[in-house]
Amino acid sequence: MTLLSALARRAEIPVFAVIGTRGLGLAESLRRRPGLRLVDSPRHARVLLVAGAVDGAQKQALERLHAQLPAPRGTVWWQAEPLFARGEVVTGDDPMPAIRAAASADDPDQRPDVPPHPWQGIGPHGHGGRGMMGGNPYGRPMAMTADDIRDGLALDAYSARFGPFLPMLPPGLALDLTLQGDVIVSADVASAPFEQGPQGDAPDLCAARMLRLMGIGPIAARARGALLALPQGSGMRRRLAAWLRGEQVSETPDPLPAALPGLEWAEAVLWLASFPPSRLRAACMERHAA
Amino acid sequence: MTQIAMPIVVTLLAVVFAVAMQRIGPQTGATWPQRAPFLGGGQPETHAWQRFHVRYYPMTLLFIAFEMEMMFMYPWAVVYVETGLTALAEMGMFLGILSVGILYGWREGVFRWQ
Amino acid sequence: MIVATLALLLALPPLIWAAAMFDRIGTGRGAIVMGPIRNGAALMLRPNTETEAPDRLNRLLAPGWYLALALVGLSVVPLAPGIVATDLSTGLVLWGACEALTVVVVFLHGWSPNAPLPLIGAYRYVAIGLPAMLLSMFVLIGAALPAESLSVVEVVEAQRGLWNVVRQPLGLPLFMALGLAITLRGPFDYADGAELAGGTSAEESGPALALWQFARASMLVAFSAMAAAAFLGGHLGPVLPGPVWLLLKTLAVMAATVAAGRFFARMPPARMLTFLWVVLLPLSFVSLALVGVEVLE
Repeated sequence: MTLLSALARRAEIPVFAVIGTRGLGLAESLRRRPGLRLVDSPRHARVLLVAGAVDGAQKQALERLHAQLPAPRGTVWWQAEPLFARGEVVTGDDPMPAIRAAASADDPDQRPDVPPHPWQGIGPHGHGGRGMMGGNPYGRPMAMTADDIRDGLALDAYSARFGPFLPMLPPGLALDLTLQGDVIVSADVASAPFEQGPQGDAPDLCAARMLRLMGIGPIAARARGALLALPQGSGMRRRLAAWLRGEQVSETPDPLPAALPGLEWAEAVLWLASFPPSRLRAACMERHAA
Repeated sequence: MTQIAMPIVVTLLAVVFAVAMQRIGPQTGATWPQRAPFLGGGQPETHAWQRFHVRYYPMTLLFIAFEMEMMFMYPWAVVYVETGLTALAEMGMFLGILSVGILYGWREGVFRWQ
Repeated sequence: MIVATLALLLALPPLIWAAAMFDRIGTGRGAIVMGPIRNGAALMLRPNTETEAPDRLNRLLAPGWYLALALVGLSVVPLAPGIVATDLSTGLVLWGACEALTVVVVFLHGWSPNAPLPLIGAYRYVAIGLPAMLLSMFVLIGAALPAESLSVVEVVEAQRGLWNVVRQPLGLPLFMALGLAITLRGPFDYADGAELAGGTSAEESGPALALWQFARASMLVAFSAMAAAAFLGGHLGPVLPGPVWLLLKTLAVMAATVAAGRFFARMPPARMLTFLWVVLLPLSFVSLALVGVEVLE
């Protein structure tokens, strides 16, 4: 045990980055920083880093995410107003000392310890309801069937709010999706992506985000094979090629509730990543205004 | 029997090792918010287990055809040199017919997500 | 047999360490040698995550089965003439079974937490894992033809004159596609990819995650040793003793697999499915036909 602890003391700190307003550039600047490692899931993280201001409207979402870091966990607010009274606040350019401090913190849950729906002890077997399909076993109902948009088979539809802090979606974008398998059958924008400023549209940053989803780095992408991996006809190849040449992209996507249904998860994620954050935000805001 | 002793022994070793390593660490009871599935702050309405829409089901039928073909291929590989050209022609025909199956399946969109 | 098994069990941890080092080279993170050990130790000290109503048994066992499949696969590879842990006349079939069961184990790993992102990863992986497995068996049958046997020992012996990588140039690159698929890497990482925030591992933490990575690295070692035996002449080679040759070749294949995983981009799964069936699988038929003609000459 002591050997493990001695080794672990000098390990990289796994950090899950929640990206807020103008936080994209901040978080990207940490990617190659020694001493920490940005991870894709809060389950893999020790420290929750909030980079850039997060709206008070997202407080609950942030608290839910915070609870998903295995305990003990720490929080760092980097150029962000704290939404709950825990963690280190950093206003300057270097969050490293605060992250180190947070790596020995032990924040309690911010959410009450109750199941999403009450269930315990209800029903003849304590399973949460009556009959075969009724009730909320372990706090949630089971999925129910619905017709599919592709082959018309009536299999289960999975409805959930995805985001606003999912690492593969543009930061701040929260989508109410219904999935059949991994195909999106309906989509609604619950909140628009955060403002990232001109820095968020920088070609190298946008290209790096997209390439990361394809599992390669910018050096491998120079061989141009990366473009062939993308689906044809949706403009993704054109936009990634422009970014790789160092050019800005100023195309605006179609409204998401019309464009996303019918796409497979991997396609949808790549399609969203192929637009600059400012244009995507504009497309979602128009819809909200209308 | 002795030939398969080692696979059984190493399987047991691996499973015992993996279970032990997972049991050694701190065992804490998780709270409800900690146990919720990760959706980036969002919440699901239902459990994730479902009658999942497997979009590639026609491909699995084609897969079974090839998997059966594989079974014939094992003994074929052993006697191939002995049997010579006949074996080459027979397996060539078999694979040729199955390849037509691939082409037909491709035309019918078997490899797309249905 | 026992000597060979002990040798494998002793050689595996350093090789896994080497695999983790290969993964760090070129990421610009430094600490190439000690980094993986330290991060692994830190993970071991973190708690496992409980999810809502998980399939506890499968969740606990999935990393263990994955590791077991890697070990069983590795055990059919001869270390030197006469030294092999599992001396089966059907060693290639046992290896093929390990490939097939890997698909099942990765599926269980994604299924068991009862969470959406792992579940999608699990189902996608099955779609790609099945044809990738077919592909590999066709090229391995190609390696078995000149040996007139399904025993890996015989396959290595048959390469005394000329290595299979020269006789069957298409074999090794096609087999590498399977290597990428069963080690969840790069273009074939449909289970644990970044577009699913870690996919089947998205809900894992602490020792369970560390073990999954450990098992994944041991599968890379097993695959590389198998590729070295089937295509690069295994323990055969001048001057140096057999096990050293096997080690060097295994390391070379490992490095090549890691590099390939970094170089090729991941396509959306339906596109990859078409590519596998329409391009790679027919290529493996062509490879087999060429081998067949070459062997009869």
